[in-house]
Amino acid sequence: MEVTTSQFRAQSEKACRDMNLRAVLDHTTRYFQAKRQASLDAFDHRDEHFARARAARLNALARLPELLEELEKNATAAGVTVHWAADAAEARDIITGIAKEENAKVIVKGKSMVTEEIALNPALEAAGAEVWETDLGEFIVQLAGEPPSHIIAPAVHKSRADVATLFAEKLNLHGQSIPELTLLARRALREKFLAADMGITGANMAVAETGSVILVENEGNIRMSTTCPRVHVALMSLEKVAATMQDAADILRVLPRSATGQKMSSYVSVLTGPRHEGETDGAERMHLVILDNGRSRIMADPVLREALACVRCGACLNVCPVYQTIGGHAYGWIYSGPIGSLLSSMLLPPEHTRDLPYGCTLCGACKRTCPLSIDHPKLLLALRAAGNTANALGAAHALLARHPLAYRFAVGTARAVDPKLDLLPRLPGLPGTAAFAASRRPPELKASFTSRHGRLKNAAKKERS
Amino acid sequence: MHAHLFIPCLVEDCHPEAAVAMAAVLEHLNVEVRHPSGQTCCGQLAYKTGDLPNARRLAARYLDVFSAPGPVVCPSGSCVKMVHTYPELFAPGTPEHARARDLAARTFEFCAFVLTLPGADSLGARLNVRACYHGSCQMGEGAEAPRTLLRAVQGLTLLEAERPDRCCGFGGVFSLQFSAVSEALADDKCREILAREPDVLVSAEPSCLMNISGRLARLGHPLPALHVAQVLAAALGKETPPWK
Repeated sequence: MEVTTSQFRAQSEKACRDMNLRAVLDHTTRYFQAKRQASLDAFDHRDEHFARARAARLNALARLPELLEELEKNATAAGVTVHWAADAAEARDIITGIAKEENAKVIVKGKSMVTEEIALNPALEAAGAEVWETDLGEFIVQLAGEPPSHIIAPAVHKSRADVATLFAEKLNLHGQSIPELTLLARRALREKFLAADMGITGANMAVAETGSVILVENEGNIRMSTTCPRVHVALMSLEKVAATMQDAADILRVLPRSATGQKMSSYVSVLTGPRHEGETDGAERMHLVILDNGRSRIMADPVLREALACVRCGACLNVCPVYQTIGGHAYGWIYSGPIGSLLSSMLLPPEHTRDLPYGCTLCGACKRTCPLSIDHPKLLLALRAAGNTANALGAAHALLARHPLAYRFAVGTARAVDPKLDLLPRLPGLPGTAAFAASRRPPELKASFTSRHGRLKNAAKKERS
Repeated sequence: MHAHLFIPCLVEDCHPEAAVAMAAVLEHLNVEVRHPSGQTCCGQLAYKTGDLPNARRLAARYLDVFSAPGPVVCPSGSCVKMVHTYPELFAPGTPEHARARDLAARTFEFCAFVLTLPGADSLGARLNVRACYHGSCQMGEGAEAPRTLLRAVQGLTLLEAERPDRCCGFGGVFSLQFSAVSEALADDKCREILAREPDVLVSAEPSCLMNISGRLARLGHPLPALHVAQVLAAALGKETPPWK
């Protein structure tokens, strides 16, 4: 997809004026929040479980190089071919190379954000393969020619009516109700599973001590992508490793609850190598591609590295007032919401992401909701400081604030000339103030507290004497 | 006992009534209030726009302004949060870091401070008003303190918007850079507040009050916007209810 993060501000302004989108987002984010809350209300010792999950993730990050080597060793021993990709181009080359080697004509994909990150589908199609997204939401956005707009619900921005129209246009399949539409998609996709030569998935986790890849889902399409075709390729970003199966279990205890409000997702697949002698299912050959794509660089930053603890539950999107208002596409890349602003800012060139850290009111709903207690606002502030795009307003205010006499003089002059701040929108060098003043009645400059307090004190003194 | 008044720049010049009321309530509870001179801005704007050098300079100024011992009390959750962030701005082991830690430990949001005072649980405040309380997202762990104080006012009907702790959309520079999104969030907040049919809007965060009341005025449904301290001062008979 075309990366449009540099247009984030304009896109967000446009998106929040789309009242249909706002209605769909309001409905869906409330739905996810209610499901999550209900599941947490019924979750005994939840703080302890959250702490265990956080410990598992931070432990993995602290021991990353060692755990990745252990993962490679154990996955290889289980019969997996392990590949290392430094960046998106290398990962695309590795995976298209496997497709050519296997003469894969039809490829099915399980829902995966990291394959979106490396823009894999166009590369496979350019290499002559037919690629089908098999997650229902991903299938919908693939048909629409759009990127996903939510980490766990790619087509969250589409209404049922949108999907009915899309199926009729693109597939000549006609249905109205959700069960009907789902059945139509299932029929179309079953044929693809049976015809597929190769299946590609992401990885929610990979376990170092066993070399296993863990996949979490509700539709069964990811499992079918790993078992129907003769070849399975799993692509993981390198931070997704877990040290032990116990750590993986600790993470699994909080992931579905935070994502969809389920105690456990309908399907959890633990794949340790391809089909072994005597087994009745599984791919004949399995590849694991471990992708860096900028993450080693993030790991070197002691503050920003916390973002790599993310398990992609999407809960921070659902509670974010900005995401609730503009949806995912406005962010300009595949990752959206609070964690998306962080990941995009870290993974893309800085000149394309200057506005992302500012598209946030710092209200902290994300941090309070995150099962790993990632401090998104703090990290966004660190990115603002790193970008150091000091604005004229801030610089002038800071200069005055350091010199109280000049500060009082400036405010005093403003109070004398323009107490109701009518001129505020017309001041040069203060972009946005005109829009703000049109939208909110600006505050008035009143007699200061200092002068009032002084008068009261003097009056009290006189009374006493 | 005594306390130093920490007056946010927005309150000093645009909402001084909140500070007057804060001083009156503290004095009612036998706290001697002192008002250190030289206060301008705590550095929050610089800090939140990524301008750490200026944030550090302004923080260093405030270490001097509030160098005298004793609690520092402020009618703004977000300014208090900024002072609680001061230690991060200085390298551990430096004298500034030690002073920042000391100042952070003795700086309190007004409502949280009042609840620690003897007599706070028997204020005897009384005021007949339907008050819609906006819980600012900047209040952190002190989110319940304003509610506790308001609930204790006899005659006061405490109302809350449907999503009481949802951000009002201000966010400082956010409201300038993302003005349409900010306005959409303010509209959500105004709609949910007006649905409760309050007489007044109350918050412990002056910037939220400015944002929400400014939008309510533009929408043609103005409401008096009061800091919790103003409600308490009026309920104690220290101030004339400003909306009457």
